Amino acid sequence: MKFSQAVKMALFALQGNKLRSFLTMLGIIIGVVAVTLLISVVQGATGKITGEIESLGSNLLQVSFSGTKATHLTLDDLEILEQEDTIYGAAGVMTRTAKIRAGSIEDNYKVEGVTRKYQDITGQAIKQGRFICDIDVEAHTYNAVVGIDVATDLFGTENCIGNTLDIGGFDFTVVGLLEKSDTMLANKDSTVLIPLTTAQRLFKNTEFDAIYISATAPDTVDAAEEATDDFLIRELGDDDSYFIINQSAIIDVTNEVMSVMTILLSGIAAISLVVGGIGIMNIMLVSVTERTREIGIRKAVGAQRSDILIQFLIEAVVLSVAGGVIGLGISYIGLQVLSTAMDIPMSLSLGTVALALGFSAFVGVVFGIYPANKAASLKPIDALRYE
Amino acid sequence: MIELLNIRKTYQMGETEVHALDGVTATIGDGEFVAVIGPSGSGKSTLMNIIGCLDLADEGEYRLNGRLIDDYTERQLSEIRNREIGFIFQQFNLLPRLTAYQNVELPLIYQGLPMAERKKRVMESLEKVGLANRMHHRPNELSGGQQQRVAIARALSTHPTLILADEPTGNLDSHSGREIMNILKELHKEGRSIVLITHDHDIASMASRQLTIRDGRIEHDSAAGGAS
Repeated sequence: MKFSQAVKMALFALQGNKLRSFLTMLGIIIGVVAVTLLISVVQGATGKITGEIESLGSNLLQVSFSGTKATHLTLDDLEILEQEDTIYGAAGVMTRTAKIRAGSIEDNYKVEGVTRKYQDITGQAIKQGRFICDIDVEAHTYNAVVGIDVATDLFGTENCIGNTLDIGGFDFTVVGLLEKSDTMLANKDSTVLIPLTTAQRLFKNTEFDAIYISATAPDTVDAAEEATDDFLIRELGDDDSYFIINQSAIIDVTNEVMSVMTILLSGIAAISLVVGGIGIMNIMLVSVTERTREIGIRKAVGAQRSDILIQFLIEAVVLSVAGGVIGLGISYIGLQVLSTAMDIPMSLSLGTVALALGFSAFVGVVFGIYPANKAASLKPIDALRYE
Repeated sequence: MIELLNIRKTYQMGETEVHALDGVTATIGDGEFVAVIGPSGSGKSTLMNIIGCLDLADEGEYRLNGRLIDDYTERQLSEIRNREIGFIFQQFNLLPRLTAYQNVELPLIYQGLPMAERKKRVMESLEKVGLANRMHHRPNELSGGQQQRVAIARALSTHPTLILADEPTGNLDSHSGREIMNILKELHKEGRSIVLITHDHDIASMASRQLTIRDGRIEHDSAAGGAS
């Protein structure tokens, strides 16, 4: 018998029992939806998180100071650190929260004391005006660069260059507006940046809260981290008072965690596919019993054992693959909805589609072979006599 | 050529053993029209199943076309049923969801014939039994006599040399029964061997040779002592 005829026969048999075929498929549909949705959501979330981290700059190191010990680091010290071959620049930052007032509106905002290098290193973009420059730092000017939310909250407009705001009793002139941040990490929309030296005076403190360091290239980040570590031990004599965050190391770890998550979650979801497969086997066994007489007639007119085997196997595989295709369709629609709702781009990757189809076909063959073989091994006379 | 030598077949019915065939020896030549007559339970259907390669004997030798049946593989037996033998059953044994056309086409599909050739053969067979105008009807839309004619068309479509008919008129009224017998006689004239199983002496008398079977043995052979 030709294969195309076997497919025709199988489809005809499945059509004869539409509700039963659909219910049998449902197990596979649910399994495929579970697996593909989970994989795609995790992939989407991974992409989002690593994207955020990468947007901070993949050659970025961040030094944070813990503990209460004074660090005594100065801008001159940072210049020494910048002598290292692998380090492009280092920017000390002082961070405080302060009451800021403009006219009658007053609220708490984050205030960061920064230098010109801060912009180079973090890649912070300016929407209007200019960033803090070297003169501002040298002359302790009262100039400020504001985040977009600060501008709209205090001045009711983004066009705020030249306006004055009050920080801790001192009047600052707005000289620049930051571009809106599109990340959740390192969001500067509600931040006011002022010259580092002015901040030191304002808050009566000379300590850095953090140092942003940028390596000369993504592949020198690890060397830069080592150089920084050596430098800080030398300067501070203690490696407990600081820690260095390496962005590329975070990305690596994130990717690793996410891939383990993917395997774990899809493994759990795959159990439902196996359950779906058992459903197919169950129904195929019922079908073989119901159609014993049909099998007998087919054998009497000359069907080979293999003809019967293939017919029933195709029925099982068609059920499972059709379930897989429908499941993928549902996943596709579900991901469109989820992407919009969660504002995270998520889509079915080619690998996921291939995995879902491959696995459902595999389930169909594995759980279809036993019933099909049972049908094929019936003796013609026993099958014909079956009532 | 069918040669049966001391064929035995025993069934286990609960505690008791039933000797359906208890040493049957017979020879049926090519082109013969033989009726096997016997009361129900005499073993005549078992005999047909063995001749038709649907069942195997427990003991004895069965040669089909000179070759011992035990020497055929399962695949070859399927092929014999497909190409050499046409079955006609008392209950018609049509597939209920297929149309008359599709039922007749079934053995040809298993032969792997191309569609054009299948169509030619199906139409030829259906015309022979006078049902070409009913080819798109399902079995439940046909009368008993018509269903049996579809079954005959299915048996004929592969051009078999041997037709095995097991009580083909058993479920039919006498008019339809006569129609079926006329078709069988026609087929005999065309040179096919026909083995007809029946309990009805009137039907059996239409065959050219009668084998009477009782309690699993051949009791009387109308050709014995005469031709053979």
